[in-house]
Amino acid sequence: MLLPAGARPLQLGQDGADTLTVRWSHGHQGRHAVRDLRLACRCAQCVDEWTGQARLAPDAVPPDVRPVSIEPVGLYGLSIKWSDGHETGIYTFEVLAELCQCAQCAAAKGTP
Amino acid sequence: MPNAGPTQEAVLAALRPIQDPDLHRDIVSLGFVKDLAIDGGRVRFRLELTTPACPVKDELKAACERALRALPGVTAVEVDLSANVRNPRPAGAVMPGVKNVVAVASGKGGVGKSTTAANIALALADDGASVGLLDADIYGPSMPLMFGSTARPQPSGDKRMHPVFAHGIKLMSIGFLIEPDMPMVWRGPMVHGALTQFLEQVEWGNLDYVIVDMPPGTGDAQLTLTQRAGLAGAVIVTTPQQVSLIDARKGLKMFETVKVPVLGIVENMSYFTCDGCGKEHDIFRRGGGRATARELGVPFLGEVPLETEVPLSGDEGTPIVRRAPDSAAARAFRHVAREVARQLAMRGMQAEAAGQQPGDLTMAWKA
Repeated sequence: MLLPAGARPLQLGQDGADTLTVRWSHGHQGRHAVRDLRLACRCAQCVDEWTGQARLAPDAVPPDVRPVSIEPVGLYGLSIKWSDGHETGIYTFEVLAELCQCAQCAAAKGTP
Repeated sequence: MPNAGPTQEAVLAALRPIQDPDLHRDIVSLGFVKDLAIDGGRVRFRLELTTPACPVKDELKAACERALRALPGVTAVEVDLSANVRNPRPAGAVMPGVKNVVAVASGKGGVGKSTTAANIALALADDGASVGLLDADIYGPSMPLMFGSTARPQPSGDKRMHPVFAHGIKLMSIGFLIEPDMPMVWRGPMVHGALTQFLEQVEWGNLDYVIVDMPPGTGDAQLTLTQRAGLAGAVIVTTPQQVSLIDARKGLKMFETVKVPVLGIVENMSYFTCDGCGKEHDIFRRGGGRATARELGVPFLGEVPLETEVPLSGDEGTPIVRRAPDSAAARAFRHVAREVARQLAMRGMQAEAAGQQPGDLTMAWKA
């Protein structure tokens, strides 16, 4: 999803054990499989800051990884503390929107 | 026969053409007219604005009085001014009772950032707002000196503390917690933890505005403050010199990156009024701040002249808006403070109208 100017999440929610829902200010209802969010972490431990190469091996992330808690970071992002102990990532609102897996966004990306 | 006086409908109809110049809507539909009481020919109401520091409050009040006096049957008009400062902050943020947290920042040191922060805070308080001032300039805290205060914050149990009360505002400075000649030698990782703790530990209570005197520059400490303080906006202070303007741009870009709205640019040390001849000398090429604001598309909040009284007032513990309220610098700071309040009110009302008040983005995952 492309984020309209000034758009931001208004409310986070949980759907079942492994889906994060995001209600956006422009009306979009976002969905994320939480393990995919963990794998998409862009912090310096997970992605090499200089080369951009992935440093996180997907196999190293437990299949049942879950958020422990979520907190806002300033006015631009979210920080997630994970059950595997990881907590250094910041998901900017733009990145969160790009990663959205709701039916509408999945259809737009061509991934069912 | 007693004067029947105007009807409530007639009074509201007479007030309806009066527009708030910033919000571009009339004061009746904005809900600013409160406690309307009509007693024969006497009309009385409260005009509730979005900030006590509204730059046009006197004009609005006069416009109401004029409109009602022209109404048949009206013999007396009384308009009381009050304010309901909006609270666009997310739930769960630090400083929970504070409605607007505003950073005063500069790209480089020595431009009068702390002086500007202190005077904005006091000018807002003079207009009737409840105000706090947080000196977060960890490397060179200056508020204890500027406010002539050597008080120590009192503990309030649970490792929290009360701010110091000085010149009618609540004041907290890292300078209260260390010896005056003791430098803060903090490595990057320590800065984040110490500042976060500092933000969380102060009992501010309920306040309309907290002004944060930021450390100069765009490093770790500034980033932590923008991430943790729940800022409603930032004010950038610059002098007219090119070196200062370049750094002001960097400050502005930093706030843009982290989505903190830049409320505007203040040009400090804009010109010098000679006390001998009264001529205004443009020592540092006045006007650079205004030009930069225009170029970058942010509001220009005002120019503050260089007066020997300004730094002297700070050094002697009474900032200039209190020590010499009629001086050109004090008038300039008052103007800046009201522009800041106006920008915040506009943004607060716009967010309210667009349903964009920030929600609570804190959650605990249920297993």
